[in-house]
Amino acid sequence: MIEDLIKYIISNIRHRFTRSFLTILSILIGIMAIFVLISFGEGLRNYMNVMGEEMGTDKLIVQPKGFGVPGTGEIYLTKEDVDFIKKQRGVSEATGMIMKQSEVKIDKRKLGKWVFIMGMPIDPSEQRLVEEAFAGYEIFKGRALKKGDENKVALGYNYLVADKIFSKPLKLGDNIFINDKSFDIVGFYEEIGNPQDDSNVYMTNDAMKEVFDVGDEYAYIYIRAEKGIVPTELVDRLEEKLRKKKGQKEGEEDFYIMSFEQLMETFGTILLVLNSILIIIAGISVVVAAVNIMNTMYTAVLERTKEIGIMKSIGARNSTILMMFFFESGFLGLIGGSIGMLLGYGLAKLGAMAIAAAGYSFLKPYFPWWLTVGCLVFSFMVGAVSGYFPAKAASRLKPVDALRYE
Amino acid sequence: MNDTIIELRDVWKIYKMGKVDVNALRGMNFRVKRNEFVSIMGPSGSGKSTAVNMVGCLDIPTKGDVYLDGKNIAHLPESTLAQIRGRKIGFIFQTFNLIQTLSAKENIILPMIFQGIPADKREKRAEKLLRLVQLEDRMNHRPAELSGGEQQRVAIARSLANDPDVILADEPTGNLDSKTGRIVMNFLKDLNKKEGKTIVMVTHDAELAKHADRIAYLKDGVIIKQ
Repeated sequence: MIEDLIKYIISNIRHRFTRSFLTILSILIGIMAIFVLISFGEGLRNYMNVMGEEMGTDKLIVQPKGFGVPGTGEIYLTKEDVDFIKKQRGVSEATGMIMKQSEVKIDKRKLGKWVFIMGMPIDPSEQRLVEEAFAGYEIFKGRALKKGDENKVALGYNYLVADKIFSKPLKLGDNIFINDKSFDIVGFYEEIGNPQDDSNVYMTNDAMKEVFDVGDEYAYIYIRAEKGIVPTELVDRLEEKLRKKKGQKEGEEDFYIMSFEQLMETFGTILLVLNSILIIIAGISVVVAAVNIMNTMYTAVLERTKEIGIMKSIGARNSTILMMFFFESGFLGLIGGSIGMLLGYGLAKLGAMAIAAAGYSFLKPYFPWWLTVGCLVFSFMVGAVSGYFPAKAASRLKPVDALRYE
Repeated sequence: MNDTIIELRDVWKIYKMGKVDVNALRGMNFRVKRNEFVSIMGPSGSGKSTAVNMVGCLDIPTKGDVYLDGKNIAHLPESTLAQIRGRKIGFIFQTFNLIQTLSAKENIILPMIFQGIPADKREKRAEKLLRLVQLEDRMNHRPAELSGGEQQRVAIARSLANDPDVILADEPTGNLDSKTGRIVMNFLKDLNKKEGKTIVMVTHDAELAKHADRIAYLKDGVIIKQ
């Protein structure tokens, strides 16, 4: 019976091809949008999970309060702050990072590129702390900076790629110029997946001070909590101590401290809200599709009134007629959903390629099994639910009246 | 076994047309014996079609009882009526009423699907019935690709799909030329004589009506002569 029903439904859908196609198209668009959005949302969530694991939950970050890009404001953290934090209970280690925006050149006479220059600590364990804070960033080629590297730099991944920063890729041993000072390249970091971080130039904090003629003006302080310490509790304690030391009132501090966990949670919440809004928008198109399916099915009932009468006269029960129309609309939904998902898959892959080409390779779509199953079930349900009332109307037709209908 | 297969006892059918009640049947009494071929004749508006709808369980009376095989079907719910229709009654309509999207063979198979007959069995039966109406070479054609006479023969084959006791034919030759009409009539006669089917045929053609064992004349919703 089910097999026959499906055959009959397919023959009907094919028989009214144009209308079926338009109905399918309407649901296809909605499901495609939902599929693409969720796959990217999931990809981003996956990325955040991985990043969270790499960063670890034992880290805290201190930033000066201010406007604009960190490191470019008026307020800085100082060496004194770092030393003070290092002495606090529960702090395993802490390091400050100087950060400047500057022009990098490969030819002194030509224009260069404006990028962020970051001061790296040379103590290996402090350096590891910074690298972990950058999601477990590691040297990809060459070596990391070490003591005495005052005229050496390590570069982000994009310097290895032609036409990303410079038209030609740079290699180990090449020279670059910052503020007219020459630096040798000793290492390249692996790709992090966003164009800003992958364009960073790293030099020692001492080199930073010399090139930019600054003191210990830190844009960030990274802290590693001791084992067994709850980071959020450490945040509260450090905030209070630092406030007291600086003689500031609560709520008027010129700094703020956050644990990486809190940071990830904040990102997660923003992501969830953003994703939800996008899915709601895509959902609206599904609602429109549902109305469209309902309309198609009501028309189909009118058009096939006589057919319904015939079927009833040769023994079709109300429930059979109900099933026919119910499954037909469900099928329309399912076909739309399946095609929408296939197109969505292609679109997400294309989108990921375009995004990666723009430097944001971390933003990859992810296709969990439940997304596929969910989309299929959902598209069938949208079709079936919208078809229910027309189907009910069809099943209730009196055979005599239906047969008389022309 | 009871000799009477169909019986209408004091059957009334009243339609509401706006504020006016239209009495299509006014206490009709009618009896059909097993294996009988009965024609119902009457002018248009006499209630012929309403009467045949009652017999065929397509409609239920406003008042009165309809017995099919000794069972009163006048007050059964629609889904039970559908079951009875599918199993016990075969319909042949003036306008053939085949399903346009299905082939001749599929049209014949459809009533068997509704009765849950297994696929291999219904295939064989449909082919046998197509041979019976001499359309085995047209089985994959759709109704639109068949002539009126061929369509009516498909409809006859379909009416036999579930081997019903009763065939109801409502003006079966009304849309056919006289030659094709005769062919169809011969099929009906054969069904009655060779297959032992009870046939109730509605017509207003006196010549056709003569083929039946008995003619019932209907006027103003009652049988006036049989």
